[in-house]
Formats: sequence, C-alpha cells, structure tokens
Amino acid sequence: MLPGDPNLQLTLSGLERRLIGEGSHRHLSSTIQIQVPPQSFPLQSCKLVMIERLPSGVFADPFELDHLFHHGAYAGIGVFGDTNLELPSVSSNRSAVEIHMNFEHNISSGAMSELGIRIDLPLHARYAPLHESGYSEVAFGMPDLLVNCSMEGGSEMRSCLIVPSHDSNRLRTDVVWKIPCGIMSHTNVVSVVTFATAFVSTLVIVFASVLYPKPR
Amino acid sequence: MTARAIMNLRSILIASAVFRLVLILYGEWQDAHMEVRYTDVDYLVFSDAASLMASGSSPYKRTTYRYSPLLAFLLIPNSFLHRAWGKFIFSASDLLVGYFIYKILKQRKVAEDLCLYSVMVWLLNPFTFTIGTRGNCEPIVCAMILWILICLMNGKIIQAAVWYGLVVHFRIYPIIYALPIIVVLDPRYVQLGKKPLLVNWKSNTQKPSSQSSEEASTRYNLWTAAKSMFSRERILFGLVSGGIFFLCTGLFFHLYKWEFLNEALLYHLTRADPRHNFSIYFYHIYLHYGHQLSLVEKLISFLPQSMVQLVLISSFAQDLPFCFFLQTVAFVAFNKVITAQYFVWFFCLLPLILPWSDMKLRWEGLSCVGLWMGAQLHWLLWGYLLEFRGQNVFLQLWMASLVFLLANAAVMAVFIRRQGCSPIFLQMKVRDAKGGVKSE
Repeated sequence: MLPGDPNLQLTLSGLERRLIGEGSHRHLSSTIQIQVPPQSFPLQSCKLVMIERLPSGVFADPFELDHLFHHGAYAGIGVFGDTNLELPSVSSNRSAVEIHMNFEHNISSGAMSELGIRIDLPLHARYAPLHESGYSEVAFGMPDLLVNCSMEGGSEMRSCLIVPSHDSNRLRTDVVWKIPCGIMSHTNVVSVVTFATAFVSTLVIVFASVLYPKPR
Repeated sequence: MTARAIMNLRSILIASAVFRLVLILYGEWQDAHMEVRYTDVDYLVFSDAASLMASGSSPYKRTTYRYSPLLAFLLIPNSFLHRAWGKFIFSASDLLVGYFIYKILKQRKVAEDLCLYSVMVWLLNPFTFTIGTRGNCEPIVCAMILWILICLMNGKIIQAAVWYGLVVHFRIYPIIYALPIIVVLDPRYVQLGKKPLLVNWKSNTQKPSSQSSEEASTRYNLWTAAKSMFSRERILFGLVSGGIFFLCTGLFFHLYKWEFLNEALLYHLTRADPRHNFSIYFYHIYLHYGHQLSLVEKLISFLPQSMVQLVLISSFAQDLPFCFFLQTVAFVAFNKVITAQYFVWFFCLLPLILPWSDMKLRWEGLSCVGLWMGAQLHWLLWGYLLEFRGQNVFLQLWMASLVFLLANAAVMAVFIRRQGCSPIFLQMKVRDAKGGVKSE
C-alpha cells in the first residue's frame, strides 16, 4: 500500500556495509539508519525489508538461514534463485535474499525520529574461476530497502511501504570479497605430478602385495 | 561364552551405549542453544527427505539427498516420534558392529582378551562414536557388511547374497567386494547347505592346533578361481544378490523415476567434486572444470584404482576380512573424492585383522597411526588456511593430499608386511562331477 500522507518521506541517513570474518564463510553486515519526519499519526511499528542481490561467486545457505530464523535472528527470510550449494561460480546462477527485520522502537508523532538496525547475513564463497593472480574479486552492490510501517489513523490500522531516498554522502557501501582461486599456470604440473603420485602409490601397494604376503 | 566374557563384553557394550546416549542428548542441547550445530548437516538432509516421504512426496525433492529411499524410510519416525530417532538407529548400528566384531573373532577362536581389545578399537574410537551420534548413516553399512561376513562364515550363502544386494543398493562402494566373495565361494571351501570349516586363529605362543589334514596348502589365485568359476554357490550368490539389487533399483525407479537414478546412483558413479577434499585429484578437477577430460586422462585416473583392486584381490582374497580391509583403504585413498566419513568404511574392518598381525603397538603400530593421522592433520592445516583464512594455498593443499595418499600406501604396505595372511576357510570334501563326494 502506498502512503496516503505525502509528507511521509523516509530518508536513508546512513548505510554502512562491511564483510566480517575471513576465508570462505563470512557475514555481510549492513548497519542502516532511517530518518522519520514528524507524523500526523504515530507509527505503531516498522519493519525493514532488505533485498540483497548477491553477486555471482557467493551464496546464502537457505537451511542455515532457516536455522537462524528459528533462533529469532530475523523476522522473515527467503532465498531466491540458484540455491545449489555445491557448484562453482562458473556453473551457477545468481541468487537474492529477502530479509525482514523489525525495528526496535515505536515512533511517536510530532518529532523527528531515527530508526537504526543492523543486519548480519552469513554468506559463503563459491569456487571462483581461475585467475593468474590467485584471487577473484566479488563486489557487492547496494541492497534494495523497503520500510513497512503500520500506523493508527482514526480507528484503522494502516501499513505503508516506502522506499527511502538516500543521501549518497553518508553511504559506505563498497564491499569487495577477495576469494582465493586456482591458477591456470599450475595445470600441467598438477596433472603430471598427480598421476605420477598415483602411479608410485600403486607400485608401492603392488610390490608389497607380491613380495610380502605369507600364509600361515 | 564364559560368564566373565559375557560380563566384559556386556560392560563394554553398555558403557558404549550410555556414552552414545549422552552424546546424542548433548548434541540436541548444542543444536538448540549454540549457533554451531553438533549434528551433521547430512542428518538434516536425511530428516527433511524422510518428512517429505512421510507426506507422500519424493525424498529427492530435498536438494542434496543422494541416498536410497530406504534411508529416508528408516527415518520417517523423525517426523512423528522425535528428530533424534535416526541418531539412535545409527548409534545402535554402531554398537551392533562392535558385537559382530566379537562374534566373528570368537567364531575363529581368537583369544578372549584380543577379542575385547578389538571390539574396543571400534567402540572407543572417537571417530566412530561421533559419526553415529552426529547423525551419519555409515554405521548401518558397516553392520551390514560384517553381517555378510558372518553369513558367509556360517555357510548361509543365500542370506549373504540378499544382504549383499541390499548393501550395494544402499551404498555402491561394497561392489568392490564382489570379486573376492566370488573367489572365496570355491566349492572346495564353501558348499551349499553345509557349514564351512574355518581356519582358527593361532597365537604366536601356541602350538599349531590340530586341524584337518586337508588344511589348505595351495594358494588361491584368480586363475584357480577362473577354472571353477561357474559353481552352484557362485551362480546362486551372483543371481540372488544381483536380483535383490535390481529389484530395489527397479522398485524405486518405478516410484521416483529418473530423480532416484540420478541422485542415488549415477551421481556417485560420476562424481568429480572440484572443491577441496583429501583426494589427490581435487585440484586437477578444479583446474579442468568445465573442460571435457580426454579419454586418456579418464583412463589414467581409473587405472591406479582398478590395478590396485585386482592385485589385492588376487593376493588376499582367501583372507576375506584382510582383503576387504585393504580394498577399502585403497578404494578410499584412490577415489576422486574423499571425505572423512569414508574412513569408517575400513575402521570397522580393522579390528577383524588385528589378531593376525605381527605388528607391535610400540613402535610400529604407533608409527602407522602417527603417519596416517599426521598426514591428515597436515592436510587439515592447509585446508583451514584456505577455507577459514582465505589464503591461496591451493598448491600446498594439493601437495598435502599427495602426502596423504603416499601415507595411505605406506601404511598399507606395513600392514601387508606384518599380516599373517590366513585363509578364512578350510578345504572340505567336494562333490565330483556326478555328485559323489571325494577328497581333493
């Protein structure tokens, strides 16, 4: 439902994004601040809906998110797109995660308020395409943010969905994940040495079998 | 069994059961209160598949469920009884393996204390008791394989064949035991309707026990087996086990169509995972991912495995438990994908061969353990740096997998060197071509 009050303009006053952790399993942390102008009617509660369009090369585990949801980490969660957990990124498609979070404070009418929330999304790296540098870079874009507020107007409860406008000077959204990857120039030596080692191990076992068994 | 023996085996089994119960309860607590689960992620897959089956849907609607529908069927009570039902089943199978180890060794007259130590090698192995309590289904497979050995030792060929067909349907890898079983079902040693004569264990300090004068002095080889390949026992075993396998496959194909075939069978036959694992082939597969491997490359990766299996069968088929053990170690070590749960496949066979080994714990035994564990820990160190520190150590990790394969080969060579390879069966009187009985 679109807001009936044209003065209801929420502003995204701060968005800070960070990748927390090391290695192939990290958390994408998003700290969001939204300014709420004075309202004619008090806002009962507000919920944030964040749609994170994941770049190719990372994925969210729907079963892990479901486990976290049941532990109360989110008000709602859903994963869309390619949820195959096993494929490398060359064979997989992108996915998106929709997260619902409740803002903690009720907002009264007649005063400028600020809503703040932090969302942690566990992510995992897929096996990246080969690159001579040994690392593949995956960049995260800006998430889509929607705020769903319920408000009292007379005897009715109404809800509205707002896309906050943003002040780009206060947004820190550059997040890049460097994922280790295989190096093409290793191919020949890896193939040769792999098969040579398999051959040597075979010889060890064959010689042991032929030379040593002694029936009792 | 003597009263003292019953009490000791019983005590070990009861203590192991209590410990596993505690671990299951602890696992439930950890899952409910901590972010990091105790339960294996595979168990969640089994449970989800089971509840889909309970609601009349295909278990293969659960992504990454790659097992027989029988497993999901076994876990249906997870949905209406308790989610830990499956863990109890797996841990009970784990205890059953311990009991079967005792039964097999006792049947071959192994000394009581050695029997109990061998049982403890399985039941007190940390790997063993965590695998069942975390919800991994491998103990069921291990129990089935040991039961097949027991059936063969008691001359119950048809029963062995039924269970063998079932276990190959359940988990494809036991297909590697087909040839040694066929080899050992020589009518000179195993005859339909008769209990075969077992070669008993002899300690190094005992005088040779009085055995039949027809004790096997000639060695099996594949040529000997080929000459009498089409015996009644072998044909029956092949027909019954093959029949059971195709019956199960046909039934579940009828129910679940190509999803079942692709996920439960074909996936395992063609699996080549580019993600890091203990196998020496992982980095080769990753570097070639997306490119078709040439026929030569496919053959080269297939040859070591098949050559080792054939040589082991040819050399050790008469000592069936030892042959199974070596084949399984080799199968896992040369496989294109190796995960830690595969180790339990040969851990359950290790206690069956220890009474025949001349290897002393100090220091040869401990060296083997140290070498194998050390190679594994070395790999895990590089794996940790790659996966949890994000360092590009692919080359080092791959080299660690080479070291692990070489360590496996070295340990196998030591076991072979130290094993008093002992045929499992004694020669019996055989039927002549007209059905009469004669001595060899």
